[in-house]
Amino acid sequence: MSDATSSRDTMAPIRRPRRWHIAVFLLPAFLVYSAVMILPLIETLRLSLFNTVDGEPAFVGLANFKVLFGDARWAADFWNALKNNVIFFIIHMLVQNPIGVALAAMLSIPKLRFAAFYRTAIFLPTLLSFVIVGFIWKLILSPIWGVSPYLMDLVGLKSFFSPWLGKPDTALIAVSLISVWQYVGIPMMLIYAALLNIPEEVIEAAECDGVTGWSQFWKIKLPLILPAIGIISILTFVGNFNAFDLVYTVQGALAGPDKSTDILGTLLYRTFFGFQLQLGDRSMGATIATVMFLIILAGVSLYLFVIQRRMRRYQF
Amino acid sequence: MSKARASLSRTTLVHLALIGYTLIAVFPVFLTLINSMKSRNAIFRNPMQLPTTETFDLVGYTTVLGQGDFASYFQNSFIVTVAAIALVLLFGAMAAFALSEYRFRGNTLMGLYLALGIMIPIRLGTVAILQGMVATGLVNTLTALILVYTAQGIPLAVFILSEFMRTVSDDLKNAGRIDGLSEYAIFFRLVLPLVRPAMATVAVFTMIPIWNDLWFPLILAPSEATKTVTLGSQLFIGQFVTNWNAVLAALSLAILPVLVLYLVFSRQLIRGITSGAVK
Amino acid sequence: MGSLQLKSVRKSFGPVDVLKGIDLDVKDGEFVIFVGPSGCGKSTLLRIIAGLEDATSGSITIDDQEVATVPPAKRGIAMVFQSYALYPHLNVKDNMGLGLKQAGTPKDEIDRRVAKASAMLSLEKYLTRRPAELSGGQRQRVAIGRAIVREPKLFLFDEPLSNLDAALRVNTRLEIARLHRELKATMIYVTHDQVEAMTLADKIVVLDAGVIQQVGSPMELYNRPANLFVAGFIGSPGMNFIDAGRLGVSDAKTIGVRPEHVALSRDAGTWQGKVVHVEHLGADTIVYLESEAIGTLTVRLFGEHHHAVGDVVFATPSADQTHRFDAVGQAIR
Repeated sequence: MSDATSSRDTMAPIRRPRRWHIAVFLLPAFLVYSAVMILPLIETLRLSLFNTVDGEPAFVGLANFKVLFGDARWAADFWNALKNNVIFFIIHMLVQNPIGVALAAMLSIPKLRFAAFYRTAIFLPTLLSFVIVGFIWKLILSPIWGVSPYLMDLVGLKSFFSPWLGKPDTALIAVSLISVWQYVGIPMMLIYAALLNIPEEVIEAAECDGVTGWSQFWKIKLPLILPAIGIISILTFVGNFNAFDLVYTVQGALAGPDKSTDILGTLLYRTFFGFQLQLGDRSMGATIATVMFLIILAGVSLYLFVIQRRMRRYQF
Repeated sequence: MSKARASLSRTTLVHLALIGYTLIAVFPVFLTLINSMKSRNAIFRNPMQLPTTETFDLVGYTTVLGQGDFASYFQNSFIVTVAAIALVLLFGAMAAFALSEYRFRGNTLMGLYLALGIMIPIRLGTVAILQGMVATGLVNTLTALILVYTAQGIPLAVFILSEFMRTVSDDLKNAGRIDGLSEYAIFFRLVLPLVRPAMATVAVFTMIPIWNDLWFPLILAPSEATKTVTLGSQLFIGQFVTNWNAVLAALSLAILPVLVLYLVFSRQLIRGITSGAVK
Repeated sequence: MGSLQLKSVRKSFGPVDVLKGIDLDVKDGEFVIFVGPSGCGKSTLLRIIAGLEDATSGSITIDDQEVATVPPAKRGIAMVFQSYALYPHLNVKDNMGLGLKQAGTPKDEIDRRVAKASAMLSLEKYLTRRPAELSGGQRQRVAIGRAIVREPKLFLFDEPLSNLDAALRVNTRLEIARLHRELKATMIYVTHDQVEAMTLADKIVVLDAGVIQQVGSPMELYNRPANLFVAGFIGSPGMNFIDAGRLGVSDAKTIGVRPEHVALSRDAGTWQGKVVHVEHLGADTIVYLESEAIGTLTVRLFGEHHHAVGDVVFATPSADQTHRFDAVGQAIR
């Protein structure tokens, strides 16, 4: 290209008008997204480094985090909420995703009758709000109504019934299972879609090679849907560490009984807005939000840079 | 013969499992709906029974409709959801078009920037969002909610729509350019009509979390005049915990619109999820 | 009127130079075809002429007017696309009329031109149909009609036949040739199919690696290829290239001879070889020889001939139809 510059004016780069339309197309989304999402997020992260000292906002470095992790007033609540949140996530991974995969595997059996009906029905709870879901289950599990003991009596398990939501040692599991009940439709649908994407020829080739039934699922289909399982895992992770509504609806802002269902979302809410006698604390709220941000960021990075890189994506 | 029988018994097992799970999924909703139409005594005595002529009672509904301001809650939810979806679709599609159609410096960077919000929940910025809304006087307005939900919906919309816009034929857009259409006309008149199915998918994905959200209405717009249905029913049910008729009726009222919409659009919705989501 | 001049047109995408200085003159009424292997830059060049892509540098004039920064709609061109690119939501009539409507042409003028073009292409019956209700051939005719109604200075065709099946391709090729005769318009046509190029063009432009290899009439390219690339690209099966050293020729590096310019004999000839494969095409017979003296040789015989694999035969090139190339691949004249 060096010879181009040396010669006549026709060789000079052509000047052309600015393409303003690109900016016009991008601007509205960019402005709203930046102003309402990104800047507040950054501001929240910044606020976590400030606190009120003698009535004046002052830069305190990582002091807020030190308080959150170590101070007697905060640390117990925080570690409790974090522990509960981890349990909440583990229950989802162990219950929601395997059930979702199993349902999807059954639904994708070729020529299965009523498949569309099952699919539609099982996905229904996913569309309902946490508020509805929370209250419905609160009623059903309520010992006052007696629906659960009645149903358990039908299968001879009446003696096992107890007011799970009211007991500290079972409340978290119960709430997690309610959440699983609501969200199982999402992994089911994503896995179902991934299974439908496997070309028929591959399955037919497996049939010809004598790989059928269960071993076909384990040896052929499961490896091919691993990327989809990766996606649902990260979606579950982000959703779980950001959860709030269900616990708030079922157990209230205090996440009772005795904070046994307290997760980071409810802790953030109580900290930021206060409840009953405790006043809201903006700086500590921002600090908790920052911790949640870092946890989610770590999870997403792990997924994007480690899991997704290692995982083979198959081109059909 | 034996193989056929084995597969028959396998199919039966599959159906049993699916019916079992379908019951688990649908039963609680069904239970709520039937009991909302029964008298108080019947709710407790025979929760499993369909309402009969003797037990049929709409007292719950009359309480709800008499007490809570549900019509206005519905209106608020409706305005917020429709406005936010419209903005998400318009702004998202415009940005998606710019990213998928033009080569310019910073294209990839802009794409990544807009994609951040798919994974990072907007809730984490709540502390500063509330501050901003207070500063601009938008607290307790529907505008605040619309803005937040628009920002929340844009990342996924840009992501899905730009995937689809890449499939619109270049030749078609070029034919439009030769026929003298401006870039804006090419976007609005040629490309948008062709990505309508993807727009429907995005609309559904955007709608569900907005309609169901409790967090932002609770924080940004809890006043009586701006309450959404989700927040309204949450507070209402909280007040009437002991009035089972009213609680069940309020729940049913909150379920019904979603249920009706779902039954009408479930096919499109599921097609959208299965075709667009895992790409 | 419709003449086109390109002067040192260059195009690069980042560090990749796609076009490395193209100079070309197209006279009014000429049918010019750009051919070359895929990736040679021919489509990019056409899109630069249309204004759909910006040249990095250089000048483009249509009817002596510089158009390098003029938007496509104002260049007085019309384009027919490979994928037809019909507007799916408009019927045939509106598809053809949209460009004129955008330019503010009066309605009765639009109607007149659409009627004329659709008569020319026998599309009258389909004017109210949508593209989805037409067959592939009909869609391509609508796309051509859309170009005709604009009465452009230049018609641009971007591989217009490659989406059609073989039979339809021949028909549409004849149709385009007829249109060129009737309209007497300047046409620029891109294809990778040398048969289309040879049958339609007044002038063929052979491109490779972003450089024009040769410009000339179809027969010029066939009879007097300027270099090894053109010699190998035009003609099928491709020209035989023989290392000049093996023939004892010292003033050339490579000797080329077309398969149809070699005679076979069972008794005597220049090169002795063994038949390794025979293809019977009906009108032609293609014989592949392996010769110790010159390597592999492809021979095209007219009509039916019977040679068995393993037969020993003699091949003789027709003396005045061999081509000589120098060390850098340029033809020696």
